[in-house]
Amino acid sequence: MKKKMIFSDFFKNNGVVMGCLLIGLVSFWLIFLIILPQLSMLDYSFRFNLPPAEVGGPKDVYTLSNYEHLIYGSDTTHQTYNTVDLKVFVRTIIAAMLVTIFNIFLCYPLAYFLGQSKGSGFVRLLVVLLIIPYWINEILRAFALRIIFGDSGLLNEALMFLHLTSEPIDFIRQDIALYAGLGYAYILLMLFPMYNVIESLDRNQIEAARDMGASWMRIHRRIVIPHAKPGIVSGATMVFMLSAGALAAPQILGGPSSLWFTQLVYQWFNDSLNWQQGAAYAIVLLASTIIIVLTVMKIFKVNMGDIGK
Amino acid sequence: MSSGVAVDLENITIRFGDFTAVKDANVNINGGDFFSFLGPSGCGKTTILRAVSGFLEPSEGRVLIGGNDMAGIGPNKRPTALIFQNLALFPLMKVWENISFSMEVAGASAAERRKRADELLDMIALGGQGDKLPSELSGGQKQRVAIARALCANPDVLLLDEPLSALDLKLRQHMRTELREIQQRVGITFIYITHDQGEALTMSDNVAVMKAGVIDQIDTGHNIYDDPATPFVASFVGENNVFRGKVKSISGNEAVITTNRSGDLLSRITPAQVGKLAVGDDAMMFIRPEALELAPRDADSKTTISANVINEEFEGNSFSVFLQGDGGKQIKMSVPNLGQDRISVRGENLSLRYDASNAVTMPAGELASE
Amino acid sequence: MSSANLIRVALGAYLLIFFSYLLGPLVVMSLTAFNSSSFPTVSPWACFSFEWFDVLFNDKHIRDGIYYSIVIGIGTVILSVSMGLAASIVLTQVWPKLRSTYYTMIIAPILIPGVVLGISTLVFWDRAGALLGATDGSFLHGLFHNGIFLTILGQSSFIASYAMLVFVARLQRFDTGLTEAALDLGATHTQAFRKILLPFMRPAIASASVLAFLASFENYNTTTFTIIDYKTLTTVLAQKVRLGINPSISSLAFIIIVLTIFAALAFEAANRNKERKLAVQQGKVSANKSGVLPGFMTGNPAAILLVLLAFVVIVLVGTAQKYSPEACKVQVREAKQIEIQQRIKELREARRIKDEARAAEEAEQPAQAPANAPQNSGAFGNVFAPGNLSEEEAPKPDPAPSSGTGAFGNVFDPNNLNSE
Repeated sequence: MKKKMIFSDFFKNNGVVMGCLLIGLVSFWLIFLIILPQLSMLDYSFRFNLPPAEVGGPKDVYTLSNYEHLIYGSDTTHQTYNTVDLKVFVRTIIAAMLVTIFNIFLCYPLAYFLGQSKGSGFVRLLVVLLIIPYWINEILRAFALRIIFGDSGLLNEALMFLHLTSEPIDFIRQDIALYAGLGYAYILLMLFPMYNVIESLDRNQIEAARDMGASWMRIHRRIVIPHAKPGIVSGATMVFMLSAGALAAPQILGGPSSLWFTQLVYQWFNDSLNWQQGAAYAIVLLASTIIIVLTVMKIFKVNMGDIGK
Repeated sequence: MSSGVAVDLENITIRFGDFTAVKDANVNINGGDFFSFLGPSGCGKTTILRAVSGFLEPSEGRVLIGGNDMAGIGPNKRPTALIFQNLALFPLMKVWENISFSMEVAGASAAERRKRADELLDMIALGGQGDKLPSELSGGQKQRVAIARALCANPDVLLLDEPLSALDLKLRQHMRTELREIQQRVGITFIYITHDQGEALTMSDNVAVMKAGVIDQIDTGHNIYDDPATPFVASFVGENNVFRGKVKSISGNEAVITTNRSGDLLSRITPAQVGKLAVGDDAMMFIRPEALELAPRDADSKTTISANVINEEFEGNSFSVFLQGDGGKQIKMSVPNLGQDRISVRGENLSLRYDASNAVTMPAGELASE
Repeated sequence: MSSANLIRVALGAYLLIFFSYLLGPLVVMSLTAFNSSSFPTVSPWACFSFEWFDVLFNDKHIRDGIYYSIVIGIGTVILSVSMGLAASIVLTQVWPKLRSTYYTMIIAPILIPGVVLGISTLVFWDRAGALLGATDGSFLHGLFHNGIFLTILGQSSFIASYAMLVFVARLQRFDTGLTEAALDLGATHTQAFRKILLPFMRPAIASASVLAFLASFENYNTTTFTIIDYKTLTTVLAQKVRLGINPSISSLAFIIIVLTIFAALAFEAANRNKERKLAVQQGKVSANKSGVLPGFMTGNPAAILLVLLAFVVIVLVGTAQKYSPEACKVQVREAKQIEIQQRIKELREARRIKDEARAAEEAEQPAQAPANAPQNSGAFGNVFAPGNLSEEEAPKPDPAPSSGTGAFGNVFDPNNLNSE
């Protein structure tokens, strides 16, 4: 009864044609592009990888085997653990967290500087400079870092020229290139939300605090950071999710032996053609990252409405 | 009387969830009238207007325009045009496009629209300004464009939602006259919403005074001022001094009430409440500041009040004297400035008298909050 | 005083580090596009060359990739902008209690890893085709396994959220009274939408479209799963970069960077111009104080930079038409040869010393060998020996360093000999 009233109000406010169009577009998006695909992926992850002829047949039953594979590997007795994949998983999550923290510390001063010195030509130039790398392809950005970090890349040449090292350092195999690349790839998604909230902070608040004798540290701790919290959490969420879900940077900058969890998913799909197994891995990735993000949001008392501002 | 279209509200009740915004309103507006709804903010007057224009359907009751039930007819199909509080001029359209928007949606050609817009612009004394954007006009000009835009739709009923509230005092007073003139020229029904009693009294043929979703009184401005139906109307419209007491005696349409501080006071019973007062009832008597004067020594005690002066203010055309009244309320007396130096001295005890026909008594009730 | 200076220096250093981290790799990559070296590098610098642009323009995979990227980009813009707009309008009207749930749902796709979105799209439409009984070869089966169709859906699922955010920001400033006014004046809901809301939203629609197109154009994580047997620019690039890198990718990056800078400067210049006009209108700035510069450039550094950049690009393209790095390349080749020969010489010298030592040991042998031995012995001498012996006395690694006066002598000597 109540629902009906909401709908009738909706059509009254928008007219029948527009109302249908709006509802239609939104439901197409939510149902066919988000909800049903996620559900069918979930469903897939509980099934066996069967040849087409057997799909729907008696062998097509639900199973946990795809998830067991992540934990135990192909050992069906569950005696040994799938250390390779589990290591990759843990490494991915921890590295994504470190990248996020690194980005917070790197971006905060700049966000504060830009946000509090509005209007000047220099600041506008800086903002334009910031936007440019934002629109360069992710692959190309990774490629740029690879040029720098390669065996005979600029960095090694420079280090050898300065006699800091005699042999080229293998940045790629040591994953330094990968972490630098991940930090590089999403840094602006951290900067802009922070910048937006800090820009909205009334300068007088800072001056009032300074007037009352607050130290530089205290001003940030008590005034700027609490105000910027939604932006920081919003940026951190985006950077964490995107780093954990990154595929291009690990493919291009990762060493041959060190994998990112998304690469495992990619391999199950494109190399092993085992979609069910890949779907299970993808679900694990999705669920664990979402749980981490929700936990962090709960700890810092930020809600979904702050994301994307 | 011109032959405008009448608007009738029959037993209208409007609820939002558990909140009742308008309760059982019955209003008959004559065709061609300038009719005002007057009340403090939040009293439900805008809600009534939205029900007439069709933006919301009453929960109960009917809206009739020209005798036709408007149930289920959307705002774009009703013969009404609304002037919004913030005017809602389309910022991206030129002035003439704004004015002729109703013709545009009806499919009129650009030439036709331009012609009509120019006529209306001449009427509102803005000829030649049609190619400006609304943002380039002054407050009063925007106001007139909004009126022209509404009139361009040839509505039977023009609804105005506090359109003058954003203007400064001088302009507001000027626009009052202008609105009234426009109304008399086009001869259609105007329904006007305001919380400003001055606007309501100067422009309207009839005024409905509303309080918390209930219409207390519908009458001409004159009658509302002189014969308020309820304590709320008496205290909301114009300034009034209130005296609380118990009815001592009633004779015909006059009553005597006994007050704590001022003794027995005589006045007429307000016409709407004749026959509804009994001896012993709690009652309120109202006297306008301008109805009080300094009493001669031999004045009748039933129409005199004695009180101590608290303060005196000079207001240019008059003096306002504030005296110690009943129950913490001050008594205000207004004395025309005829060249006196002052009227009273602070702390002095004054005797004031009034004419019983200028004071009204009614059953006690809620006052308008200051 | 000194502490303020210290802070200023620290801030400057920090800005320098931040922007070097951000822009340095792009600058280096751009430079490598002009180095003739076959591996993207700036040091050692070989020759200034435009050849990698030729390689790029002649690469069919990249051309195809760009074409499909544009097709998909347009489809994604249409779908995601309309879905985002609808979602934002619904957000303003949705029942307050449902609002936060609804918002979470429409913002969530931004936070779902692109890989997951790609997989779920692929899996779902495969399933949907099976459920609808689409058999191999039927239209539906073809559609649901079409890389372009799936990629547009997969990308739109999250790009619509970005578009939605742009619209929500703009809608917050919309006065719903305007729509009501239009309805009151007799407009239908569709007319009110088209004539009032849509014009108001136009700037937001434009920026959301640009945003959506760029996001689609550069997306990799989702696309790599949904594209199946087609190619977009990013998947082509990713494949190339993974298989082995060459500077033609740098040249593509350079083009994209220049275009981006152009767009950013044009946008900034237009903004400044608008602001300035407004300031002039309000009488804050005198209208015409400029003597040399055309009006739109006055007080507008972005516009000046824009014009300068355009000039540089024209010069660059002009040079590319005329300039040929051949001479330089020959030089580089020769320089390499000299290096090789230097090494040969060193080796020979080593051999000679060894031989001499041996000769001294075997004292009874005649001392003839050292004079002629270098011709046919030594590391390289041995390699080329068969050719040298069978043909005339004009071998390519001409061992005549004594006669040459340096690199140039070497370069021109063989030619001179041939032409005579």
